[in-house]
Formats: sequence, structure tokens, C-alpha cells
Amino acid sequence: MRGLRGWLRILAGVAILIAIVVAVVLPQAAWNAAQLPLLALFSTTRMVLAYLLSLVFAITYGTTAATNKKAAVIMLPVLDVLQSVPILGFFPAALVFFVATFQGSPAGIELAVVFLIFTSMAWNMAFGVYEALTTIPVDLEAAAASFGLRGMLRFRLLAFPAAIPKLVYNSILSWSNGWFFLVASETFTAFGGTYTRPGLGSFIANAGLVGDNAGIAIGIGVLAAVVVALDTFVWRPLGVWSERFRMETTGREVPRVPSPYERFRWLPRFPRLRRTFLTSVQPIVTEYRRASVRLDRTYSAHPRVLREIRILDLVLFGAVFVLVVVAGLIGLARLFLGPLPAGAAELPLAAASSFARLSIAYGISLAWTIPLAAWIGRSPRGSRYLTPVLEVAASLPATALLPIIVGFALLVTATLGPAAELSAILIALFSMQWYLLFNLIAGVRAIPGDLHEAARSFGLRGRTYWRRVLLPAMVPSLLTGSITAWGAGWNALIVSEYIPFLRPPPHVSGLGYLLDISTFSVPPNNEMILLTILMMIVIVLAMNKLLWRPLYKRAAVKYRLEI
Amino acid sequence: MEPPLLEVKDVTKSYFENGKEFKVLDLVRFELAERDFVCVVGPSGCGKSTLLRIIVGLEPPTSGQVLFEGSPIRADNPQVAMVFQSFALFPWLTVTQNVELGLEAQGRPPEERHARAHKFIDAVGLTGFENAFPRELSGGMKQRVGLARALAIEPLLLCMDEPFSSLDPLTAQNLRDEILQLWENPDLPPKAVLMVTHSIEEAVYLADRVIVLSSRPGRLVAELEIDLPRPRNRKEPEFYGWVDEIYSLIV
Repeated sequence: MRGLRGWLRILAGVAILIAIVVAVVLPQAAWNAAQLPLLALFSTTRMVLAYLLSLVFAITYGTTAATNKKAAVIMLPVLDVLQSVPILGFFPAALVFFVATFQGSPAGIELAVVFLIFTSMAWNMAFGVYEALTTIPVDLEAAAASFGLRGMLRFRLLAFPAAIPKLVYNSILSWSNGWFFLVASETFTAFGGTYTRPGLGSFIANAGLVGDNAGIAIGIGVLAAVVVALDTFVWRPLGVWSERFRMETTGREVPRVPSPYERFRWLPRFPRLRRTFLTSVQPIVTEYRRASVRLDRTYSAHPRVLREIRILDLVLFGAVFVLVVVAGLIGLARLFLGPLPAGAAELPLAAASSFARLSIAYGISLAWTIPLAAWIGRSPRGSRYLTPVLEVAASLPATALLPIIVGFALLVTATLGPAAELSAILIALFSMQWYLLFNLIAGVRAIPGDLHEAARSFGLRGRTYWRRVLLPAMVPSLLTGSITAWGAGWNALIVSEYIPFLRPPPHVSGLGYLLDISTFSVPPNNEMILLTILMMIVIVLAMNKLLWRPLYKRAAVKYRLEI
Repeated sequence: MEPPLLEVKDVTKSYFENGKEFKVLDLVRFELAERDFVCVVGPSGCGKSTLLRIIVGLEPPTSGQVLFEGSPIRADNPQVAMVFQSFALFPWLTVTQNVELGLEAQGRPPEERHARAHKFIDAVGLTGFENAFPRELSGGMKQRVGLARALAIEPLLLCMDEPFSSLDPLTAQNLRDEILQLWENPDLPPKAVLMVTHSIEEAVYLADRVIVLSSRPGRLVAELEIDLPRPRNRKEPEFYGWVDEIYSLIV
């Protein structure tokens, strides 16, 4: 590992040298680059705000669903739908709402951006909390009950700690999801104008717009640095810490899903920096502890107030829920009772072409990730040298790569039409492939050593080995990866099928394009927005229920590896 | 007349699945007085763990009643403590914090909590491990923490659900002897012990009275006073006489 560290040091030196040379030769670019730390701070702040919102939402929603069986009957299906629909599809609608409410003021746009990131983070975290709370061992629940743990005390000593491993795990996934949406949302076109909020995402998009190649590269580099740094200093320590809260299980199940806090293992650990960071957050932790103890006392002193707050909470949730459902139903009724909008006839064809595009990207992903995962999963050397490259590449949200991908497509095809088609497929590919790759690697790694040795001792080799050992072992992780990858693919449609920063904006026919132009038209075509989102939801839910779930169930029985 | 410490009155428990009734316990009745060490034995699946969960108030019976000192039992009764087969230690709390759990729920001040936790950690021989986390302990030590946690609330009745079943035979035997030692110390709680086990030998080794349940649904088959003097010797014919008698009752 020391060799790698040495290389990193040399790399850093070279980067600094290049930066100095660039600053001397191109003062304008250097001036732009100097703003980057500030822009990174803006972007990160948006992420943190959205994350805190998601955290509060996830804990309250998950706890309520887990403790109130009646509420769970409604809350779980709602969460299930929200989790599986392409969220970016809602962005235009959310934008129309927030921008209209705040009459185009920056605060409204900021809110829209934070809201969008929130919608990409919250659902799986809430599910994590729900899952953790419903899988607390029976005896532990019984112990808590028989020793009289109730209310806030039960939450602090039992429920919250029990939820921590799943919460941290899902937070890390949500956080990387968040980057994708952050970059997509900092610049957008609506109401005939372009809105930009200062941040890394808009910096990259702007560089793409004016064809500033150095700007694109620097922006993406800084973004990667921020992503990796936050992972190293926040998420990885959190992940290690959360291990303490894991339940000990007697029958150990093999982890199928790649553990997100195992990312960036190869990075140096920066012990001194990390210690400085930890000591600087220590006061916050202590203060939180003190506050929670105080809260505890106040709460347990007023059980009636507590009950009233909980009832109020439920009533509020019920009211909001009923309002949303009623508004949605009224909107739907109006939509289908009246004549359909003119564009509705295009929907089936658009859906088909979007689906075809995603299928091609999925096929390409499979073609290269399966062999690579089989190799990396079994070869320590391959893993050591390739993992760093792949992880940094994967940490970049596909939305940030947009200018590069479009530029590449233009270079290859030289004409606008095919270039748009190629770049749409490439963006989908970049959104989908990593989920497959890392899930598959985890699947291969989970094959017990005994099985490999048994295969070798019976002389399984070549095709038989693939057919009898590798491929079957990959099936469950292939399905997990595929579900996530398709989810990401549907989201990518909105940014891939219409590229507003080229003049004239190239586009390909598809659901994402329909959604985009309905939003960008003045005034926004609400009926078409609604219809297109509905179409997407129907397709995604149908695929989940009719294809992935049944496959997953069968695979869980047939291909599960138990030790 | 003072009511007995614990009264189990005609407890019946049924589960319903697809409209069908599965009876687990059928009209179980017995009493527990102070200074009673009672073991409930029965074949696996006879509902003995369910019975214990009903007795400590974690589950309601389908019919019948459990009275503790004359009034219906509640799960959070501070006079009743429970030891679990799976230990049920909170993995994120240290030994001391686990032992203090019941005291914290009762809202005792920190000084008192620490003092009592210290006393019972010492009593079960875990001094030096106060700040260890459960995952750092062996099975026997974990169950000691479970025992100290139960004793720390100074209960009148200690309930144990197969407390030695997850331990290796040697550790289990050591812990049995230690429990008897604690039991014979009049300065320490509890006033009565109710233990559920599937091991007849264990029941005869520990208990003053053995309650025998039949296989599903669990019915009361016999209540036997074991009048052997302690310490009991497993090799003595009297000991084996009791084991054989209970064995024939179950089969």
C-alpha cells in the first residue's frame, strides 16, 4: 500500500505544478478555478441541508410506520411507490411549484434544488429505519419491555441504536444519489429562461456551454475531490462506527450488496487530519448528548404532552396525505375527463424509444461488467490496481460528465442528430453501469472459498466453471444491481434526451424529451408533464412487479449461498 | 390471608392462523411462594417459553389470568426480572450500561445506578469487564451480564428462559452452581425463581419443585417436590430416580 501512497503524493505534486503553470499561462481560467472552493461549499451546503431533511423525515416516517400498524398499511405502499419511481421526473413539476410560489426569487430556486436532492435521498433511508425497527430481535424487544423502557428512553436506548447500521448504510447510498441530482438541478431552463444557482454543477454545465474544456476538467476534478474527501472523512468513519450497533446474528448471512463504506479502502487514512476533524466535531457530539438527555427529562416529565404531540403528528401526516391524494385524484380526473392534450399520441412511441435506449445501455453494461467483475472478484491484484480507478470514476455523477459525453459524441458522429442519440445512450450507460459492476464484484467475492476449492478439485474449468460456479453465484447480485441500474437509467432520461446547453438544443424522441419540452414551454404544459410522469411510473412499477420481483424471489431461493 | 407471590390461573393460549385455532397452552395452573425455586420442564414445542412470556406479562393469555402479589401482571413490573436464552444484551451498551438498564428506566439517580451495577457485576464475577461491550465477551460472560442485569433491579421474582441452553456444557454447569450460590445468599434478591428448561437433569439439579408440561398443547402433567439436599450429586441413585420419573411422565 505504501507504493500507492507514494504514487498519490507524486500525483498531488504534479497536479499542483500543472495548476501553477496553468495559472501563469491562462490567468482567466485560474481566476475561474479560484472560485471553485466557494462553489464547492455552496453545493455541499445544499447536500447537507437536503440530507438533514431526509434524516428527520426518515426517522419519523420509519418509526411511525414501524410502531403504528394502522398507519403502516398506507405508509409502506406510498414509500414503495416513491422509492421506485424516477424522481427526476418530478423535478419539472416541483420547479414549477417552487418557482411560481416564490415568484422566481433565488430562495425559491434554492428550495427547489434542496427539495429535489431530498427526494433522491429520503425514501431508502426511511425504508432502512423501518426495516431495522421491525427486525429487532424478539428477545431484545422483550428485554426492553420487561425492564420498563418506554417512550424517549426506549427510542434512545433501543430503537435509534438499532436503526443506525441501516441508516448509515442507506445514507451513504443516498449521498451519492444526491450528487447526481445536485448537478442536474443547479442549472435548468424553465418559463423561457435559464436559472442558475452558483455551485459545482452549474460551473461544469456553464463550462460545457461555452466550450471551456479546461473548465470542464477542473470542475469535474474538484467535484471528484470533494466526493472522495467527504467519503474519507465523514462516511467511512461513520460506517466503521456504525458496525458497533450491528446485531450479532447466529446464522451469518453472506453480504450480497457491496458495503458502501468499503469504498476508497485504498486511500491513505490520513490519521492526523482525521483526528483533527474528529476533535473539531467533538463539541457538537457532546452538546447533542447533553441536549438529548435534557430532552429526555423534559419528555418523560410530561407524558401527556408527548402523547398529544404524537397524535398531532399523525393527524398532520394524515391531513397532508389526504390533501395530496385528493389533489392528485382531482388532477387525474380532470385530465382523463377532458380531451387529452395534443402531445398524448406521442407517448407510446416515446416510451418505446426510451425503453429501447435504456435496454441498449443495459446490454452494454452487462457485456463489460460481468467479465470484469468475475476477474476483479477473484484476483487480488486486479482488485488492488483497478478498484481505485473504478471507484473514482463511479463516484462522479453521470450528470457531471454530460459536457464530456456530448463533446465525445459530437466528435465521433460529427452530426447533431446521431450525436444526440449516441450521447443519450452513453449518459444512460454511465448512470447504469456502476451499480451492476459493484454489485457483481460483491457477488463474486461472496462465493465461499470452499466452493472455489471444490470446483478446482473436481477439475471444473473454462465454460463449465462459468456455467456451474460463477454465473449462478452472480445471479442474486446481478438482479440487485439491475433493479438499481434501471432505476438510475429512468432518472437519466430527463437529462439525456434533451441537451439545452447546445444551440440549437439537440434532442431525441423519448419520455425524457417530452417531459423537458413540456416544462420548458411557456406556460408549462402541466397536463403533458403529469401524463408523462404517469407513463413512467406505470412502466417502472410494471417492470418491478412483473419482472424483477418474481425473478428476485426465485433467485433468493435457488441461488442463495449459505454458510 | 396474604396472596401467594405468583398465581397462574388456568392460563390458555391459542394462535389463530387462516381461521384455524392452534392451542399452545391448555389450562395451566400453579402457584409460587417466597423461597420457591421452580423449574418448568416439557418436550420442545410444549409452549413453556410462551408460558413464561405470559407470566412476565409480555404476551396476554387467550384466557385465564396471571396474578403477581394478588394483582394482574404488567410487563414493566419492577419486581419481576427476566433472563433470556439469547442473552438479549444491547450490543451498543457496555456491561455497566446493560446492567443499569432497568434502573435507568426506573429513573434512579446515576450514583445509585453505578453503585448497584457495581455490586451485581461483582456478584456475578465480572469485575474488570465493566466497560467491555457484549461482543467482546464469551457466551458464559454474556449470560452473567444478563443475570446481573436482572438482579440489579432487585426483583422479588426472577424468571429465566432456558438460560443455559446457548452455553457449552462446562460453562453451563459452572453458571448453575453460581446461581445456586447466589440463591442461597439471603442478602441478595430474588425471593423466588421460575425457570423454564428442556433439560430434566438441569431441573432436578436446581429446583425445589418441578412442573411438568405435556407436549402440544401444553397441559400440566405433574408437580413434583424435589426433596434432595443441596449440593445435589448427579451420580446418586435418588437423583436418577427423579430424572427417570419425570422422563417417564413426559414420554
